[in-house]
Amino acid sequence: MLMEHWFLIAMWLLGFVGFILLIKRKDRRKGFLALMVFQSIVWLCDMPAFTYGLLSAPVREFPKATDLPLTINYFFYPVLFSIFYVHKRVTRSLWSQFIYFFVWITMITFFDIVIERYTNLLEYGILTWYGMWIYIGFLFCVSLVCCNWFFKDKSLERLGS
Amino acid sequence: MRMEWWILLSAYAVGLGLLFFLPKNKIRMAVVAILFKQVITFLLGLVVVEMGMLEYPVRLFASVSRTSFTYEYYFFPIICAIFIVYFPNDHRSIWIKMGYYVGYTSILTICEVMIEEYTELIEYIHWEWYVTWITVCLSFYFTRLFCLWFFMKGGFHIKTKERAGD
Repeated sequence: MLMEHWFLIAMWLLGFVGFILLIKRKDRRKGFLALMVFQSIVWLCDMPAFTYGLLSAPVREFPKATDLPLTINYFFYPVLFSIFYVHKRVTRSLWSQFIYFFVWITMITFFDIVIERYTNLLEYGILTWYGMWIYIGFLFCVSLVCCNWFFKDKSLERLGS
Repeated sequence: MRMEWWILLSAYAVGLGLLFFLPKNKIRMAVVAILFKQVITFLLGLVVVEMGMLEYPVRLFASVSRTSFTYEYYFFPIICAIFIVYFPNDHRSIWIKMGYYVGYTSILTICEVMIEEYTELIEYIHWEWYVTWITVCLSFYFTRLFCLWFFMKGGFHIKTKERAGD
């Protein structure tokens, strides 16, 4: 089996375990909604990103049906966003909220770069590492705004003011 | 412009128009229905194309995706939101509810069969109209189950009016 396949299996396992262990029962609905919002936004944004060659996925789950990576887009990153969203604390100061956000997107970018460099799951085209960092930040930001609207969370308005 | 593109364009226009029929106090329920339907269509849409059961010769984002983005991401989820939001309430008889399922599913299936017959938007390869009917009906059912769970009493609810089945 290719190393890429082990990576994919690990992502599914880690995703499931993470979602079950790190999201409490009472936050399950919040977690599901965040997951679905991120999935929907990443699906929409990756279509033009892959069309215009920003990045590509040489080894993927459904090579005939799509050029997009399924595990990352459909499951793994949405789960990570959902864990991020459920554990964010709106009561904390602005700075700690910013740091929380940046630590998360930096960690995910780092993971993405590792995947790009050491496997064929992702291949950056025009995109650079800081481009990916901005892209993930953008995806997180848009998803965050949508989720906050859904749960009527006022923290972002405070962030903006 | 080819007829297929006009149909795709009108799907976007009709979808947008349908959004205005969503009652304001049930917007969140519609959002959950749309998102959950996308979870289903995203995966299953890929599976059926990968297995060579269906083909979408004319499609959006043709170079990176062989599935129908317009139908799976946009049009079908919006129809599902309308389906969920206007679902007949709990006091109605089971026949009315079943009729509601059958009505929506049949209309969608008839449209798809006609589109298959007269345009190149979709081609059945190892597929039959009744497979569409059953899968569409089941996907409505699972989306409704998810919405019922999501807006269950005692669970998450912003306004009690937004509960499914009210």
